[in-house]
Amino acid sequence: MSETIQRSPYRVYWVTWAILLVITLAMLLAEKLHMPRWFLVAFLVAFMMTKAVMIGGNFMHLRYEHRRMTLMVAAGILITSLILFGFITPESWHVLSSLVR
Amino acid sequence: MHDGSHAATLEAHWGGGASPFGATWQKTMMWIFIVTDGLLFSGLLCGYGFLRMASPIPWPVRSEVFSIPFIALMTFILISSSATMGSAVAAARLGDRRKAVLFLWATILGGAAFLGCQAYEWSHVIHEGARLASNPWGAPQFGASFFVLTGFHGSHVFSGAVILLITAIRSGLGKTPPQGVEMAGLYWHFVDLVWVFIFTLFYLV
Repeated sequence: MSETIQRSPYRVYWVTWAILLVITLAMLLAEKLHMPRWFLVAFLVAFMMTKAVMIGGNFMHLRYEHRRMTLMVAAGILITSLILFGFITPESWHVLSSLVR
Repeated sequence: MHDGSHAATLEAHWGGGASPFGATWQKTMMWIFIVTDGLLFSGLLCGYGFLRMASPIPWPVRSEVFSIPFIALMTFILISSSATMGSAVAAARLGDRRKAVLFLWATILGGAAFLGCQAYEWSHVIHEGARLASNPWGAPQFGASFFVLTGFHGSHVFSGAVILLITAIRSGLGKTPPQGVEMAGLYWHFVDLVWVFIFTLFYLV
């Protein structure tokens, strides 16, 4: 991989750019396909995470960093966000049911 | 004796010596900053999720409020600026200062274009009657979510563009080392990364 980077240092960025554009177009087109709501959301979130991994890995060079660094960044943001979202979701349902009642 | 064995235990578990993350302190600190800033946006997005899920009034249909192709154009601009930023970092690492500065200016141009698009979008939405606490399309929390999320992101794009401007000028003068370009690049890519989440969770889902 490092040989590839040395031979063509710009290639990785422009290949990533092209893939990100294709994914973005696919996300925009998915809305027009009238798929079930849950499937559309799962599809969009999966593609969103793919884009995030590509930006973090290729643009921010996380895939070339020490594994501890990658773990600190990915786990730090992802786990905290999931915990926060996990607490917030049931609370929002509770608030909604009390407002509708 | 006790201290010695404690240090040995720590060393066995940690084992990173002076550079546990295998990176310079500048890069490590930049990453720690990015994680904390990422948590800020994570909190904002979770807050938006809460407002949307707890709202008894239907959330506005985004395609009726925004021009999604226009938002897609903003995404295209930001992704392209990330590619030019990556190329600037690569050029700086190779010692090609002229190319690095050229790519940096292209990135700044992308950032300025994105901010211009955002200013247009904001003025359009405000003209249509959207405010922090009300809007003509549905749940009143929609306005606050929109202005806070895109406003915070826009302020990051603005500060990123200023950092890049300083980096481009200093690089042109030979005063910024390649590592300085890389640090500025990390911040710019982070701004792009945050937009990926806002674009999907606010505009598409």
